[in-house]
Amino acid sequence: MYDYPIVVMQTAVVTQHISSIMVFIAVFINLYQGSLAGHVLLWFSSILTVLGFVFWDILSLYLHAPERRIVRFNLIKGCVLFALLLFGLSPILRTLTEDTSSDTIWAMTVIFFCVNLAFHDYSTGNLTNIRFPGSVSLNAAILASVLLASQLDSNLSVFAFLAFALEWFGLFPISRRYLRRVSAAASMTMAVLLALVAAVMFMYISRVVALLHLSCTLFVTFGCPLWLIWVQRYKNEIHGPWDEARPIVHHYYN
Amino acid sequence: MRSLSICMVSDFFYPSMGGVESHLYNNSQCLMQRGHKVVIVTHAYGQRRGVRYLAGGLKVYYIPAQIVYSNASLPTFFCTFPIFRQIFIREQVEIVHGHQAFSTFCHEAILHARSMGLKTVFTDHSLLGFGDASGIFINKLLKFTLSDVHHAICVSHTSKENTVLRAALEPQQVSVIPNAIIAEQFEPDGSARDPRWITVVVLSRLVYRKGVDLLVAAVPRICAQHARVRFVIGGDGPKRIDLEQMREQHQLQDRVELLGSVAASDVRHVLVRGDIFLNTSLTEAFCIAIVEAASCGLLVVSTRVGGIPEVLPRHMVTFAAPEEDAVVEALSATVELVGSCASHAELAPEHFHRQVKRMYSWHDVAERTERVYLKIADAREPPLIERFRRYYGCGLVAGKLFCLVAAVDFLIGVVLAWLWPSERIEPARAFDYARYRAEIGCDEDQAH
Repeated sequence: MYDYPIVVMQTAVVTQHISSIMVFIAVFINLYQGSLAGHVLLWFSSILTVLGFVFWDILSLYLHAPERRIVRFNLIKGCVLFALLLFGLSPILRTLTEDTSSDTIWAMTVIFFCVNLAFHDYSTGNLTNIRFPGSVSLNAAILASVLLASQLDSNLSVFAFLAFALEWFGLFPISRRYLRRVSAAASMTMAVLLALVAAVMFMYISRVVALLHLSCTLFVTFGCPLWLIWVQRYKNEIHGPWDEARPIVHHYYN
Repeated sequence: MRSLSICMVSDFFYPSMGGVESHLYNNSQCLMQRGHKVVIVTHAYGQRRGVRYLAGGLKVYYIPAQIVYSNASLPTFFCTFPIFRQIFIREQVEIVHGHQAFSTFCHEAILHARSMGLKTVFTDHSLLGFGDASGIFINKLLKFTLSDVHHAICVSHTSKENTVLRAALEPQQVSVIPNAIIAEQFEPDGSARDPRWITVVVLSRLVYRKGVDLLVAAVPRICAQHARVRFVIGGDGPKRIDLEQMREQHQLQDRVELLGSVAASDVRHVLVRGDIFLNTSLTEAFCIAIVEAASCGLLVVSTRVGGIPEVLPRHMVTFAAPEEDAVVEALSATVELVGSCASHAELAPEHFHRQVKRMYSWHDVAERTERVYLKIADAREPPLIERFRRYYGCGLVAGKLFCLVAAVDFLIGVVLAWLWPSERIEPARAFDYARYRAEIGCDEDQAH
């Protein structure tokens, strides 16, 4: 029923997402501790985003993709407007939770990232819009980022962090879905790459977490598929004349 | 003979239309004619709320309730207990008979009736799979209700098998009582047929579950193969657009007639125009439409799904797998049969009608239902702990939850009995059926 190698390949979407959250948290910790400056993050994320779009376009051209929904002018206009809005709002966001204890913020962040992980759109290959439950996931991630951003101490850091959050949780999953459509191997490579980046970033923060993340990724990739195949023996299917029939239509005329 | 007081409960009743509704109405009418007292409890439909009397003195309680989805009311567990208790005591109900697994009222009424120590019967009108989430949920709910009913009734043997598996019941505890039709309303009319054409009639809601995709695929192929065939398709639904597209694409406007939705009173007028009735359902507990068609003298072509093979004798139906080629072959063979020997005695419409009339009658259904009632009417009431034992066996978590629900319901029953003692609740005045019939008889005499 399930083929082990195929299921292993398909776990890439899950490990990618777990790793991306880990990378995001690592970025925050660096920013919080002051080892990463706001403008560096801003430059870094902007360049990555532009590179991502260029890569997408080249790939689309190369694959002769039939639909190209991205209208460049509108895109740039939207980006500029959004950046300005965010820049204007960042002083407010910085002081948003000044009266709240940091412990509350950490706890809520963990909850929202769990929600993000639970509702993330793993199955559909939707590239153009975000629908329920993916929308819940995105909202949870943005909420968590706003909470985290309010713990930072400079306006530029807040702006850079939130811009990064939008790119990381809004755009990056779409490009990962695109990658999965292109090839399973590319998707797997991305998963490995992200897991390594997350592990390396956490090496400097906490070795235990880095090792935990690596072992968790390995477990999800190799252990869980085995588990899934093993529990099939407990599946009890009952079929009978009461099941709804599937109509078989051949479309000879079309 | 012993007269029983029966309360039928379901979310689905007139003015909404369908198989459950007509079953409730006709069965109640025939039970009343057999000397029993019947009241029906359903939820309010728009302005239709309160107590109403229908023809024959059938009393219906329309209880105000919030409706959540396709006419099913909001599950409230205990909130309906006071009003159900009042009704059961007022009407001196002995047996509570719930209909249809999707009906919240049915489940709640059975639970409350059990808390009050009344006898309960449940009728299942539909089939459900085991694979999807909604199926699993409804099956668990059904298990709860059926753990403590005295008897269950299904409309076909397929449905019985399904229910026994879903609710883990003893098969002896489940009876099969099919639906019926009023055969007098479905008499054949030879003059309505158009001799130039062989007419295929389709009457169903145009939705996926009725196999409209198969119909859309089969119609142009049949029209291409047989020049004398035309289609009359009645019913409405989201798939109607597919049929219209097909008609446009193959330019069959003069051979495929789409009637839109057909009122219950016009069904016969549509049926008698046809020679063949085509049913392409994908699932069906008991297909009443093909019985009506056969009663009007039509040959039936149907997909072999659910309880359909049990419904009619072999010479009236041609079965097909739910697959395009099979449907086309079966329909083609039937068209040739009609074309070659239209006057075959065995296939004469009147002959069909007589046979169906012998097979299906609501009086027969009522008699069989009555037998179930009489069997359980004097059953010994098990102690409360036995009820809990049954609920407890329903599942690791669910069992405990069910026990909790039943216990709370029982306690609410005790509180209600203290607040409104049953002696203080005024019994409803009995409807004088004899006088009603005499008056109606007079009216009829005057009319003549």
